[in-house]
Amino acid sequence: MNPVLRKLQVCVTQQALVLNQAFTSCSSTPSIRHPVWCTASANERQYRSMPTHGIGRWRHLIIKQAPKKKRDKPQMKPILPATNTAYGSLNVKLSGYDMTLVEHYTQYIHNLCNQLGIKVAESYALPTKTTEVMLMQEKGTKMYIDSVLKTHERVIQVNRLSTALCPVFMDVLLKNQPEGVQLSVKEHTEADFHSRFKARPELEGLMAQINQ
Amino acid sequence: MAAPCGMMASRPLVQLFSCFSRTAVGNTGFRQFSATSVCRATSQAKSVTERASSPWTLMAAVCLQRLPVISADCSPIEQQFKDMIFQMELEKSVLSDHELQLLEDAERMRRKQADDYDSDEEEGHGRQEIMLAQDLEDAWEQKLKSFQPAPRARADVDEDLTSAQRCLAETLVLLAEQQVGKEKLWLLPQTQWQEGETLRQTAERALDSLPAGFKATFLGNAPCGFYKYKLPKAIRTESTVGTKVFFFKAILSDNAPPKAPKAPLLWLTKSELQRYLKPAYMMKVDRFILGV
Repeated sequence: MNPVLRKLQVCVTQQALVLNQAFTSCSSTPSIRHPVWCTASANERQYRSMPTHGIGRWRHLIIKQAPKKKRDKPQMKPILPATNTAYGSLNVKLSGYDMTLVEHYTQYIHNLCNQLGIKVAESYALPTKTTEVMLMQEKGTKMYIDSVLKTHERVIQVNRLSTALCPVFMDVLLKNQPEGVQLSVKEHTEADFHSRFKARPELEGLMAQINQ
Repeated sequence: MAAPCGMMASRPLVQLFSCFSRTAVGNTGFRQFSATSVCRATSQAKSVTERASSPWTLMAAVCLQRLPVISADCSPIEQQFKDMIFQMELEKSVLSDHELQLLEDAERMRRKQADDYDSDEEEGHGRQEIMLAQDLEDAWEQKLKSFQPAPRARADVDEDLTSAQRCLAETLVLLAEQQVGKEKLWLLPQTQWQEGETLRQTAERALDSLPAGFKATFLGNAPCGFYKYKLPKAIRTESTVGTKVFFFKAILSDNAPPKAPKAPLLWLTKSELQRYLKPAYMMKVDRFILGV
């Protein structure tokens, strides 16, 4: 008899008597104990000292993605138009001086959207704007820096917000708005997309020269 | 469902651009709220000549809410946790520029006091520091002492049920006393639906019909709640079995509108609503008023 099967029989009898049926269908039991061996037929001899070989393989299970080229410019996701029952692409903009509040509120809204089944297309931060508050000196004409305020901005882009869900969503957002955070909900436009990128003055100058 | 819902679906969407800001300082007792609604080209709703007449009278009511202006007070556990976390963060944090400057200045003062002080040994500084960091800190302390914050809650305003400035830490809902059938009841302001208008327009009319002029932004075209009321058997006829009321949510958007004195209007928190509303009505209204 196949030494493999003999070993299995011994193990099985040790475990439970219920598995008596397993003796007849010996091709099923190897797959439980030796996962990789399902691919091989029962007659092929496998390497016995590596029973868990390839147990952690997962990359063969996911869908293959095309390799991303470095020169690809980030493409804008298409702006969806509004229909009769749903809004298109909406931007929920949050801004404030206190970064922890703004950040936590953004996370709260993102989690809320996930829970309510609202599709979040993108969630990004815009660059921080620094404002210096200058005060006039009491005696004299010179201005001195009183304080430095940093405005943080976060944007959550939401797609296909259903009009029946919108009042509920807005109500929850307004009631949970923390102090010092400004909330603004607007439609997403191309200008909003392009404002995320840095302006390249030399390139624009050269383009202007070419076009002249 | 009856006709109005069908009409709502055929109306093009009203787009809402809204901007909400919440500033603790400045506006006394109000959150700034600005909203611009952009209507698409509205196509006339096709009038249905043959419409099955329903035995229910349709009404739309508005749930006008005043959002909280200040943050709610922490419970004792929350306060303790807050203090503990603050202390932990302080201990783990790195010294800021100002604190480093303080240490440097203290060090320099100490060296100046020492007998064998040679000002030429001073590294780097070509000029004397006019303002020490400690002086700056003292000046700031003085400014802080002279600042008087407004009191968070005033007991007399909180007691006045008609004032929109009461209970700044909670959301308030507007209740009006209206004539329903034979009796006067406290309920959310409602009015009857007319032919050719959407339910939301009915709700807006209900809001405008109140004696005090409130400026509000409606949150959407879809109703947030529904209440059905069957008339007692004695009054019931073929054409009127009862009333169906649709609720629409709106947010109060302006500062302290001029109060019409003696108007039967109340601003109530969610817990106080129970005292004024009928139980069956309260059960339905309770579901959509978020008591956060």
